[in-house]
Amino acid sequence: MKKTEAVCRILLFFLIVCLLTGCWDRQEIEDKAYVIGLGLDRSKVEGKIKVTMLLANAEVGSIQGGGGSTEKPREIVTFDANDFIAAKATGNSVISRDISYELLKIIVVSEEYAHDKDFIKKFYDILKDKDIRLDCYLAISKENASEYFIRNRPKMETRPHKYFQFMIDHGIDNGFIPDSTLFRFFKTLERGTDFYLAMYTTANKEKNPEVRSEDEYMAGQLNATGEVGATQFIGSAVFKNGVMINKLTGQETRNINILDDSTSIQDILVDIPDPFSKDKLQFAARIMKTENNKVKMDLKGQRPKIFITIPLKIEIISNPSMVNYTEKKNQLIVKKQIAAHIETLNEKLLKKTQTKFKGVPYPLSMYARKYFGTIQEYKKFNWGKSYQKADIHVKVDVEIIDYGKRTKKPPRVGA
Amino acid sequence: MKQQPGKIGIREYLSIAILMVGAKVTEDTPTALFQKVQNAAWMIPIITAAISFIPLFLLLKTMSLYQNKNLFSVIQKLLGKYLGFFVCFLIFIINVFSISFDSRTYTTIIRTFYFNRTPMVIIYAILMGVCVYGAKKGIQHIGSVAYLVVYYAVVFLFLSFVISTQDSSIQSLFPIWGPGKLEILKQSTLNLSLFSEFFLFALIIPSITSYKDFRKGTWIALVYVSIQLSVGIIIFICMFDVSLRGVGYPFHTAIRFISIGTFFPNIEIVFFVTWLMAAFIRFAVFLYINALMFGQLFKIKNFEFLIPALAAIYLLIGSIPESPYDISLQLKPILRSAIGPTFLVVSITLWLAALLKGEFKHEKNRGSM
Repeated sequence: MKKTEAVCRILLFFLIVCLLTGCWDRQEIEDKAYVIGLGLDRSKVEGKIKVTMLLANAEVGSIQGGGGSTEKPREIVTFDANDFIAAKATGNSVISRDISYELLKIIVVSEEYAHDKDFIKKFYDILKDKDIRLDCYLAISKENASEYFIRNRPKMETRPHKYFQFMIDHGIDNGFIPDSTLFRFFKTLERGTDFYLAMYTTANKEKNPEVRSEDEYMAGQLNATGEVGATQFIGSAVFKNGVMINKLTGQETRNINILDDSTSIQDILVDIPDPFSKDKLQFAARIMKTENNKVKMDLKGQRPKIFITIPLKIEIISNPSMVNYTEKKNQLIVKKQIAAHIETLNEKLLKKTQTKFKGVPYPLSMYARKYFGTIQEYKKFNWGKSYQKADIHVKVDVEIIDYGKRTKKPPRVGA
Repeated sequence: MKQQPGKIGIREYLSIAILMVGAKVTEDTPTALFQKVQNAAWMIPIITAAISFIPLFLLLKTMSLYQNKNLFSVIQKLLGKYLGFFVCFLIFIINVFSISFDSRTYTTIIRTFYFNRTPMVIIYAILMGVCVYGAKKGIQHIGSVAYLVVYYAVVFLFLSFVISTQDSSIQSLFPIWGPGKLEILKQSTLNLSLFSEFFLFALIIPSITSYKDFRKGTWIALVYVSIQLSVGIIIFICMFDVSLRGVGYPFHTAIRFISIGTFFPNIEIVFFVTWLMAAFIRFAVFLYINALMFGQLFKIKNFEFLIPALAAIYLLIGSIPESPYDISLQLKPILRSAIGPTFLVVSITLWLAALLKGEFKHEKNRGSM
């Protein structure tokens, strides 16, 4: 009897040992250095890349910590490496904690390196790494990524993960930057029919930039002064087969975002030329896109025809020429003006993509698919080639939901 | 409801069937189908289910002659001692490999996505250990637990599908016929293995309260599972588009990507837990059925005691292939192409044997008497 009891106890002991296997993958937050931003630059050495890691200090800013910590909120380290995955180990010779990509939020690639054909070869490693999530964003910086992270000194959001999260989320909501997740990057690359847009950013303001309309800037062109950080997120970089080929301004990026139903653009503020004003005044309007675009195609003929209808809801916010919008006639004029303005912007942009980029920077090809029965027919049609000679018509369905608060002109003295 | 000891009712059987066959959508099956017929992959489960209907119908018809007998006794009775033994043994061997490779796939998923540093053998051993414990409890216990788990599993699966639709576009399903209608039909017949588990359920007929429950449960589960599989593949195609080709385990990649707003960014753990529970049930049933087969083959009455030993053997077989690529790309396709035809041929042979032996006539006479 005693023997069985002893055996049972030993077995129980083994059972408890099984529970300890959970400790294999235990992770102590104390012990981890979380990389929030990863920078990639061309290295001076052939076949290598320059890796920059932006590490967040988990202790700073958390309320539970009591705010007693006087440590810096971030650490930045740059070195040359063969790839950015093994670089985690190399980085540990400088960083005291175990480096992890689990909370990676943004990958910044310098414009120069993104133009390089080697870039995509190194970049494909992301799919092999187990830590990096595909909802991480890709951004292109005007300067070197290593320089970008150092110069990027936000004044209010000193914790880097919060800063990038807010900056990117609101940029995408405004439409100034594209929703450039890695997931979309690889999806576009595999599809091979259209181009990918990555957000464009810089922490280096141009000297004496000219003043333009509200969204016609590229990152670095806005002359913002005062007590703010120098970083700007606006515009986008165009990628063809994983290599950067061109850039789009904030305005063009916005238009692409309106055309692209797969991004969630909420409401954007724009200036539109006022049809009632003789001195080229512009009125402000809020554009809301709540419905999906309707795309019809006629792909039979020599030149494919594409008809895009964009439904937009518009709220007029300012009224510089003091027009009385209660009159039906004026309402019609302004409606026509808005539709014509957006149509020309879009058609001009699409024409530019056809002639200059030779491809469409958003998944327009998806709409063409339903006109084919089988994949073979679709491949034979060759979207990439056909798009360049396509005849594109953009129509904007404007619905004005509000003409502003004030309806009447203020009375003039002596009139 | 009166409970018979040691037996499971229709709802337990249904939950087991849904968890066991429905789990296919969460492993590498969607990718395997996508590689064959690209964006028409979602049609395959439905067409295959329609094709599977014929052998399954014949099997059920044959089985109805011998109520309260399981598949292996029927095979041995209809095909004779030696041929019967050979066929049963073949089915057993195929299932040995099937469970080994499947459990290895699950281990790979757990290791790749959730426990990167734990050695594979440890994860494998624990997975098998839990399933052995479950299987040894017997089919009734497994059935009850399956019934408990099935709601969570289904609800969370569909929740993940709904959240996944945020980042997907329906246009990915076009061109609607994919590589062509003929190719789809061809691949549907080649993928009969999708529903081969239903064939195995004929082994636990004696444990189900009535034959009618078994028949009803099988049809309901077949329809439901084919729809679930199809919906899952549609979701994955819409989400990943062409890159689904290279995504090994789309369900797990998807749940790592999706988020509920910005406040809950990384929510995969919720889905992982329910998925793991479903996996335990799946392999517990699988182990139980395998042990049952072994017991039948070699006339071992208390086959429950075989389960730990058999599980150890499966673990060893599953550990042989060096990399997960060997399993997904080489061994599993071979196995899949073997299971489907076996399922078809055995069902039809059984029915023919019963017909030629005049068993159906006997049954009618018995009925009229």
